[in-house]
Amino acid sequence: MLSGRSFILRKILRYCVIILIVITLNFLIPRVMPGDPLINVLGEDAALADPALIAKLELKYGLDSSLWDQYLDYIGALFQFDLGYSIDKSSQVSELISENMCNTLLLILPALAISSAVSLLTGSWCGLHRGKFLDRLMTPASIIIYCMPTFMLAMIALSTFAFHLQWFPLGHQSSSGLSGLKAFFDTLYHLALPITVLTIIGISGKHLVLRNSVMQIADEDFILVARSKGYNEETIVKRHVLRNVLPPFIAMVALNVGLLVEGAVIIEIIFSLNGMGTLLYDAVMYRDYPLIQGCFLVLTFTVLISNLVADILYGLADPRIRDSARCSEEIR
Amino acid sequence: MRTWKGICAYIVRTWRGLETYQKAGVFILLLLITIGSLAPWIAPYDPLQTGTPFQSPSFTHPFGTDNLGQDNLSRLIYGIMNTIKIAFVAALVSLAIGVSVGVYSGYYRGWREDALMGVTDLFLLIPSLPLMILMASYLEPSEWNIVLVIGFLWWCPTARVVHARALQVRNQGYVRSALALGYGGPYIIWHHILPNCKQVIIAKFTMGVALAMLAEASLSFLGLGDPLSITWGSMVNLAYSCGGFANDLWWWYLPPCIMITLTAAAFFMVGGRKNEGRRWQI
Repeated sequence: MLSGRSFILRKILRYCVIILIVITLNFLIPRVMPGDPLINVLGEDAALADPALIAKLELKYGLDSSLWDQYLDYIGALFQFDLGYSIDKSSQVSELISENMCNTLLLILPALAISSAVSLLTGSWCGLHRGKFLDRLMTPASIIIYCMPTFMLAMIALSTFAFHLQWFPLGHQSSSGLSGLKAFFDTLYHLALPITVLTIIGISGKHLVLRNSVMQIADEDFILVARSKGYNEETIVKRHVLRNVLPPFIAMVALNVGLLVEGAVIIEIIFSLNGMGTLLYDAVMYRDYPLIQGCFLVLTFTVLISNLVADILYGLADPRIRDSARCSEEIR
Repeated sequence: MRTWKGICAYIVRTWRGLETYQKAGVFILLLLITIGSLAPWIAPYDPLQTGTPFQSPSFTHPFGTDNLGQDNLSRLIYGIMNTIKIAFVAALVSLAIGVSVGVYSGYYRGWREDALMGVTDLFLLIPSLPLMILMASYLEPSEWNIVLVIGFLWWCPTARVVHARALQVRNQGYVRSALALGYGGPYIIWHHILPNCKQVIIAKFTMGVALAMLAEASLSFLGLGDPLSITWGSMVNLAYSCGGFANDLWWWYLPPCIMITLTAAAFFMVGGRKNEGRRWQI
């Protein structure tokens, strides 16, 4: 029997390996790809500059040392939260990211919570009442929304509700010069539309999977037994169906964070909100490589951390999972 | 040797075995591909011919013109083949990698399986869009680099599913018999494992095309696509960056969006399995 603590330790070890791989990827991609790093940073004119100056810069940025030394330097810098310097924004990348990350989380966290709650409700309702009106509506709708590019949904929402109907502001995080409760409601007013769009995207990703797992569980024998014992539907749903849906649901929510992060990047650009999305868009426009790399690292870490939390919760929600690692080894 | 008659009979048999929604998906795709391949004859204008910019919809330009005065309808029609081609080849690349990894690790097992599936699981967790942006921003913007970026990142789900199926198949009696008869690994993989994974592979492939199309659209929207090739994603990017969206010229940015959705949905419909009654899978 694997104890709870060693289960969590094993998970954390696994994620450390993933994080090391992500860091290595982030280190290797610029060095493996064609092109010279100095020209990438300084622009095409750098090739025409004085070779002595280039050599001096290479020495300064450690580009003349071996790849292994550069790698160690890179990891050492990461531990000091040094992600490099953005020439375009003339600021430290880590400062830029820490300013913008909060705004992105302000978008992702509410969307994650609302979409999880709604899809848990609709998914289990549709799974238990298949063929009813809501089921016939939700299932094709979630497939179509899943097929829509994120920017389409955001553009339609912005042009309909903000531009034509003028129910919501046309963008930006908040009006300036407010404080206290007023500022809170103002931010809510500004973020309502983007959060709604992100929530719809989140629901479309989760609804179908949840509906399928509820349907699968509703067909199991123990539900039949519970029903033949004379339990009412409410007890069966609460005690048997939902309890069993919970572990796959947690895993799904964690996988969904990746989808929401990708959605938030695009939605921020269209709604012109300050956040990682607009930062990344600017960085891509001006080919600001240190900033692109920093954004990649932070967004990936966000998704990885949420998956780690979900993995641990998963083991707590379903004690069988904790043993499953051992079990599968035995089967082999 | 299969004759033409045999091939026709095979097509008819496959067509009859399809569900209604799969037939609808095939119909939409065939229609689009027909229009796309006849683009030089169907499109009213040359997509690169410039004229009066920012025109509203009219009989001469049903979807208006863009910032250079190029006809939007013609660009939409010329975009069909480009968009589908990029998504198709990207899905093929990811399929090739995914199937090789899945079958190899599912058949040989042992430390190779641990290593390969471990790497697959790790890559599954990394969010794809940021990594695609990172890779695409270092590469020269061209069609083939977009294909490679998408293809190299999306083999993981295919590898997982094919691996699971290969594990099932390798324990079947006929595989064991073949092993006992002295057939080697490559023979068994080619003649037994792969044919039995066919269903899973086809389903993953059509979904892969749909997802690759959406990924290409996102990358192009961010300005990382090939500026010289006309795809639906790059049309939206042009409309967004040149003021088409800010000035509410919906006839410019909405049609390519709808085409992306329609085509992606058609690919989903072809590959979607309603297994066990009414269970849709994405």
